[in-house]
Amino acid sequence: MFHRFGLLLVFSISAAMAGSRDLPLPAPDGVDFSEQVEPILRDRCFACHGANVQLSGLRLDERGHALKGGDSGLPSVIPGDSAQSLLIRTVAGLDPDRVMPKTGDRLTSEEIGLLRAWIDAGADYTETAESSPLANGKDHWSFQPLTSPPVPAVRNAGWVRNPIDAFVLAKLEARGWKPSPPAGPEALLRRIHVDLIGLPPTPQEHQEFLKQNSPEAFDRLIGELLNRPGYGERWGRHWLDVVRYAESNGYERDATKPEVWKYRDYVIRSFNQDKPYNRFILEQLAGDELEDATAETHIAMGFNRLGPWDDEPADFDQDRFDQLDDVVRTTSEAFLGLTMGCARCHDHKFDPLTQKDYYGMVALFNGLRRSQNGRREVSLPVGDRDQLAGQGQGSDRIKELEAQIDKLREDFRIELLRSGGSGLPEEAVAALLEDFKKRTEEQKGLAIKYTSEMIAKTAEALPPELVDRIAELEAEIAEVRRSTPELDRGYYLYESKPPEVVHVLMRGRAASPGEVAVPALPEALVTSQPAFSTKGNSSGRRLALARWIANPENPLTARVLVNRVWQQHLGRGLVRTGGDFGIMGDRPSHPELLDWLASRFIQEGWSLKKLHTLIMTSNTYRMGKTPVAEYLEADPENRFLWRVHYRRLEAEAIRDSMLAASGQLNRKMYGPSMVPPIPEAALEGHPDPDKIWHTSNEREASRRTVYAFIKRSMLIPMLEVLDLCDTTRSSAQRPVTSIAPQALTLFNGDFANGQALHMARRVLEKVGPDPAAQVDLVYRLALSRSPTPDEHREMVDFLNQETEADLWETRARDRDRLVAREASLVQLCRVVFNLNEFVYPN
Amino acid sequence: MQAKRFTLNNPPCGRTRREFLWETGGGFAGLALIDLLSSDGFFGRAEGASADGKPPVLLAPKLPHFPTRAKHVIFFFMNGGPSHVDLFDPKPALTKYNGTPYKGKVKVGSNNRAIGYLMQSPFEFKKHGQSGLEISSVYPHLSRFADDLCVIRSLYTDTAAHASGNIQMNTGNVIIGRPSLGSWLSYGLGTMGNDLPGFVVMTDPRGGPIGGTSNWTAGFMPAAYQGTLFRSKGDPLLNLATPEDVSDRTQRHSLNLLQRLNRKHLKNREQESELAARIHSYELAYRMQTTASEVVDVDKESEQTREMYGLNNRLTADFGRKCLIARRLIEKGVRFVQLYSGGGHGPETWDGHVDCIKNHSLHGYETDQPMAGLIEDLKRTGLWEETLLIWGGEFGRTPTSEGVGKPGRDHNWLGFSMWLAGAGVKGGQAIGATDELGFEAVESPYHVSDLHATVLHLMGLDHTKLTYFYHGLEERLTGQRGQVIEGALA
Repeated sequence: MFHRFGLLLVFSISAAMAGSRDLPLPAPDGVDFSEQVEPILRDRCFACHGANVQLSGLRLDERGHALKGGDSGLPSVIPGDSAQSLLIRTVAGLDPDRVMPKTGDRLTSEEIGLLRAWIDAGADYTETAESSPLANGKDHWSFQPLTSPPVPAVRNAGWVRNPIDAFVLAKLEARGWKPSPPAGPEALLRRIHVDLIGLPPTPQEHQEFLKQNSPEAFDRLIGELLNRPGYGERWGRHWLDVVRYAESNGYERDATKPEVWKYRDYVIRSFNQDKPYNRFILEQLAGDELEDATAETHIAMGFNRLGPWDDEPADFDQDRFDQLDDVVRTTSEAFLGLTMGCARCHDHKFDPLTQKDYYGMVALFNGLRRSQNGRREVSLPVGDRDQLAGQGQGSDRIKELEAQIDKLREDFRIELLRSGGSGLPEEAVAALLEDFKKRTEEQKGLAIKYTSEMIAKTAEALPPELVDRIAELEAEIAEVRRSTPELDRGYYLYESKPPEVVHVLMRGRAASPGEVAVPALPEALVTSQPAFSTKGNSSGRRLALARWIANPENPLTARVLVNRVWQQHLGRGLVRTGGDFGIMGDRPSHPELLDWLASRFIQEGWSLKKLHTLIMTSNTYRMGKTPVAEYLEADPENRFLWRVHYRRLEAEAIRDSMLAASGQLNRKMYGPSMVPPIPEAALEGHPDPDKIWHTSNEREASRRTVYAFIKRSMLIPMLEVLDLCDTTRSSAQRPVTSIAPQALTLFNGDFANGQALHMARRVLEKVGPDPAAQVDLVYRLALSRSPTPDEHREMVDFLNQETEADLWETRARDRDRLVAREASLVQLCRVVFNLNEFVYPN
Repeated sequence: MQAKRFTLNNPPCGRTRREFLWETGGGFAGLALIDLLSSDGFFGRAEGASADGKPPVLLAPKLPHFPTRAKHVIFFFMNGGPSHVDLFDPKPALTKYNGTPYKGKVKVGSNNRAIGYLMQSPFEFKKHGQSGLEISSVYPHLSRFADDLCVIRSLYTDTAAHASGNIQMNTGNVIIGRPSLGSWLSYGLGTMGNDLPGFVVMTDPRGGPIGGTSNWTAGFMPAAYQGTLFRSKGDPLLNLATPEDVSDRTQRHSLNLLQRLNRKHLKNREQESELAARIHSYELAYRMQTTASEVVDVDKESEQTREMYGLNNRLTADFGRKCLIARRLIEKGVRFVQLYSGGGHGPETWDGHVDCIKNHSLHGYETDQPMAGLIEDLKRTGLWEETLLIWGGEFGRTPTSEGVGKPGRDHNWLGFSMWLAGAGVKGGQAIGATDELGFEAVESPYHVSDLHATVLHLMGLDHTKLTYFYHGLEERLTGQRGQVIEGALA
């Protein structure tokens, strides 16, 4: 032993002396481990010196092992000295007796140069040391504890209705700026209605409210609207964006997810009940692991199963990790504003999240399983712990009893065949008695041919005592069924046995497992790891994760949520990248305000309704939209919040507002989705145009858009063209585009024209043939204001001209003036639905 | 069902438009049709709408990363998976082993179907053109242009299923939700014509491709970049037609009122570019009504041209019409046109599980003359110099039949052929090779992402630099992969 070591040492040093100058030069520009070095090691070294196989005792996939070396006892890698590192010397072929790799081509000079540069720089296995996100990312603002900043003093204290205004005004005053004057009462009335319930005020509400117009009256209105069911329908939809909600799986069959709409209803109900946000988090991530789990919390768990799903994956192992990636990614973006998915193949390039952190998160979810029957997904029963246990016991007992019956029958069948009492031909008997797998081709044929006859004969010959026994067992099954109540069903992933071990996957590939990843929270964000305690069949890992997220100490959760709410109210978040609070994300325009809001939100019991009230009772929220040239020049993005800016309504709010104005809105809540009509031409893009779209009747299709069927391979064109969110990944904000197909949809599309017709009839019924009254009502219904005299004149002129032109044009036909008047009014309604003001409220 | 379309050449009541307006104007006082009389500037382009040029920002033409010839792409998507060993990759060894069970190690096929028996191609391969490129008898017309085709015989993808295969061929990834090739090009280069969408998709009358809209989605990019379904018959675009019970005159009267009110609303709000952009989008929509209708009006083409595209033959008329419209679209500046051959499922597509011979005879016939006609026409019009053609499906097919005497072939994603032709492509050659039997790409294997990198390169874009920042990552069409297939470049 001693000798061998000594010999090798001598060899090694002498070789080093001999050949250094023959080595390729190190790459000059520095190297990136995961981009440039790790691929070489993985492709050329790990097969023999990796996690699974360690020839000569050498392992190169971890720094410690590489430094220690293999059986030779010599370090394979000497940080800072590539020329002396055995790894370099062998791949460079300095010693003809030990050239690596043993198979395939030799490494190129360029590759060796990269390895040398990496070793010379310290052989860091994560990132180059100076740019390591781990090293400096921990200082990032959003990872620091929440603060409770003092409310700043301002000069114009009269403008301050609540502390939000003080934070905003302090920044404006520092620049010598003034906040915009308040929006007019009609504009504000519509803004508050649309913002909270996604619908305009009715003309009656409009009229009554303006009588008592005052800041306090608006405060009362906010309280009242928050208690309407429309609030959950509006704000629930915002949450559905964040959780990639859709009702089908995508891909070839694009099957509808069974019972998934119950998750949508759960979200709407939770908003309407003002469920504390911390509880909302626990239910969605770990509704099955809660002590007080219920049917509702199981349905909430649908969160984990909403993503796309390929029922025919190319690679089952890889697919498993794609599914877990969907959950890890959505969870981290939705609740934490962290782009955890970036650390799947390598450490996060910017944030202090390592690949190990990522797979630690994967391990938290790895117990989850999908209930399916082949390619068909099945839902699962939902209930509290006792109900589910009872259901489980009941079905276990039924299985046991059924097995008993089967055994009685089977034993008798074999006995009958053996005894020759079946009367079947001998070779058939032999075939039927032969083990299923051992049958010859001929026997297979015979077995198929005689099976039904055998069953009939067995049934005929069944002795009375067996008949009675089977009847007894069947009666018991019926009794168990009766005493086990049928539970409601939901769509979620379940855990039933301890999760399998997760490995860090090199380059994110399931086929390249590296070291084991223990279930863990991201290292940089915690001081200690939680303990995981088993909950029934469940590992308890998700509950630990959910508790950490929902903990008031978590620096991200409340900040991310209040920012999302702010964004919906004011159009843009204080942090503009609502799903990315990391280093590449936007920095808050008003960090103190964000922290103050987040702290206040937690103090007030994580209540969303209180948060809405706080924001909407501020003067900041109530500012007008008029620009000031100087401010616009200096701050076109309105980051200082010197006004409220224009923003287009979302597709849902546009469609719902039309239904409200036309009087067609069906307020039926909850339940399976409705399927609105879509143009036949759109279906031509689908492989199964005749099968997929079972249009609801008009009444059903006139429900709010949040109840519309979202199918991943056939998105409703009207919603898609109006910038519906991405339905495959968490969406923090919707883009707003102005493209010609939107104009075609709203001006020529069946839906808009149909609603224009309904609205015209509604108006006619209400105010009769007087054009002046018609125009007035159309404006109040659609725009929540009366027309200006100029607009009024223009619209009345249009009605008259259009009627006259229509009559003139169609005089050959039998058409009376009333019909022409109605048609003109339809046109007017159609125009109003297309006005900029309709989709961009003042 | 057939709605009327609003065109300037179709005046109400059979009179000329000017006569009509004069008469109506004279018919009753106060009818303000002044705007209509200046109808060629119907939307008053000068007034307000696009004052700051803001609207088309997303789709404004952008310079490529480096100078290039190709400006347009036409992608013939052979939906279902065309068999390379029956079209572009001759395998004499299959004749030798015809009918014998395959005993090799390569595992291809789908859904655990039996790997089956080696099956020779029933189609005759011949050398064509000066280059001697081998093409089977399925494509006699196309063979005339053998010297223009660069066949890549060594492609492979990551999936055996149609949905993920289509989605990977179109978006680079087997997982749904990523932007498609056409979206990346629209994002990278913008469009050249304003009156039409920049990325157009035409599906087969038998149905769309499996995966539906996921195949032309803009994914995480704005909707402006997504593919627009374009129909070769009837109204080409969704909601293009004026509603059925609305006369052309009323349509214009209403639009006129709308834009007038919107422009008044814009007064005192001139800085609000989104409002101006929206006004502009109605102007564009109006122009689109005319332009799109004109594009599909192939009756204007000469009889000779129609014949060249196979429009007079029942079997080739549909694809021929789409090829002809494709030429008319790129003439108008459309960036990316994708034409699907085959739609729905099974024999309606190139998915020849049951009888690959019959299947490919039909679908080959349907596409052969139209594609050849298009190439000839592009050369005639000079568009050939700036147009890149891509031919292929989501994967190839197995060299085996699914049983003895059952001439169906299963899916093969480990080795298959596609071709490129036109601007910037070195034609008259075959690149790479599959093994002796055609199972697996063995010589210069190229992944789908390599094909994508090459297409971007031919369009003047570096696939490593064409990135879109989303959720913390600089996303690329080619993900972390992709190398340009240098051999394909002229």
